[in-house]
Amino acid sequence: MQKNICLICDVSFLSYCDLSPKRKISLSEEELIQALRNREKIAVEALYDMYSASLYGVIVRIVIDEELAEDILQETFVKIWNSFSGYSAEKGRLFTWMVNIARNLSIDKVRSKDFRNQGKNQELENNVTFIDEQRNTVYNPELLGIRDLVQTLKPEQKSILDLVYFKGYTHVEAAEELDIPLGTIKTRLRMAIQQLRKHFNE
Amino acid sequence: MEDVKAYIESGVLELYVLGDLTPDERLEVERMALKYPAVKAEIAEIEKSMEMYAQEHAIEPSENLKDKIVNSTLVNLGDDRIFTKQRKHTDEIAYEDDNVITMPKRTQFYKYAFAASVALLLISIYGLVNLYSQLQESNTQLAVLQADKTKFANQVNLKDEQLKLYLDTNYHIVRLKGLPKTPSASMVLAWNPSTQKVMVDMNAMKLPKHDAEHQYQLWALVKGKPVDMGIFDNATVDSAIVKEMKNVASAQGFAVTLEPKGGSINPTLNQMVVIGQF
Repeated sequence: MQKNICLICDVSFLSYCDLSPKRKISLSEEELIQALRNREKIAVEALYDMYSASLYGVIVRIVIDEELAEDILQETFVKIWNSFSGYSAEKGRLFTWMVNIARNLSIDKVRSKDFRNQGKNQELENNVTFIDEQRNTVYNPELLGIRDLVQTLKPEQKSILDLVYFKGYTHVEAAEELDIPLGTIKTRLRMAIQQLRKHFNE
Repeated sequence: MEDVKAYIESGVLELYVLGDLTPDERLEVERMALKYPAVKAEIAEIEKSMEMYAQEHAIEPSENLKDKIVNSTLVNLGDDRIFTKQRKHTDEIAYEDDNVITMPKRTQFYKYAFAASVALLLISIYGLVNLYSQLQESNTQLAVLQADKTKFANQVNLKDEQLKLYLDTNYHIVRLKGLPKTPSASMVLAWNPSTQKVMVDMNAMKLPKHDAEHQYQLWALVKGKPVDMGIFDNATVDSAIVKEMKNVASAQGFAVTLEPKGGSINPTLNQMVVIGQF
């Protein structure tokens, strides 16, 4: 019965049928890439179920404004879908490619005239901790791991990672901002990521 | 091999994953990754860590966003022609332009709506001007009619007064007739012996027109002597129909003479125009 309804709905993809919103679709990365290449509808849904939260977490930390973050998330998905031919599995993981699209869209927005005119960049100074503090005031299982993670990283490692990852600084800009030699920046960044590797492999 | 280790430890691979390299540097990293499996493996490890890092920071977007995003992605699916322009991005990901969904119908609609509004405005102004001039005309006509009405009402009042004189039995009607010199002249007056009032019927008066230096003067004959009863002019259109003269208690007759303007003490008998006696 449910299958029948879905078939009817499928005729028009405008009224996309999703009778079981709680059930998330999960594919292996290879399956997903294949489905995306074949431009299957299921790929979009799987893509969303598998990566929307991770991408949104990055976007919202960059732009702070949740409404704007949702717009950018949408833009990101449209862009992923439309320029998927530009992705090559040879050069790296799917998520790396996608998160860099999301980050670039967010950083473009944050650095745009419009955004700066709204005075939103002031909040940006402490955006990462701001979002986390705000979300941690209520019990949020999504973010439980972050406290451990933050303790894993040394403060100077975390600050540099956040600066580059969530604020869109290039390592050159970060070096100027923190008044640290370029080589040190690179080393600290590497140390930070090494630390993450150790943390996640434990 | 030392070289590869140093290369890995330089931190350039982290920057590669973070999208923080120039196109040339990227190509160099990709070349190294193809050449040395250790570099490729290191990149994969970094990517995995960063992906986990992002997962740790994951935040679920609001529930209803999924349908919106899935639909908007799929709607664009059939419309690849829209995304024609290639654009270079900082990390060299070429993606298609997504901001050119033009909506000609809508702008067209506003264009027509604006034109229609202007046309409507002009028509309205024309109509208003027209209506205003018509209103002015109507007002003028109304004023004329009002004046006419007042005139007629006045005339009716005057006729009423005249009629009352003739119907009132207390009044004696005296008809003054023309003399040989003025055969066509005639005049009617009414005299009420009890109230002593004398009224001249200006409407029925037929006296020759006098000039500016003269006026008619009414005389009463009291015991053979003329008594001044006041002066009057030729009747004009707007003047009262009945003119009240001076009072007299008893009279045998009345006469009218033409006198210099302002009247005389004694009548100029050769200028008598009408006379009437009981």
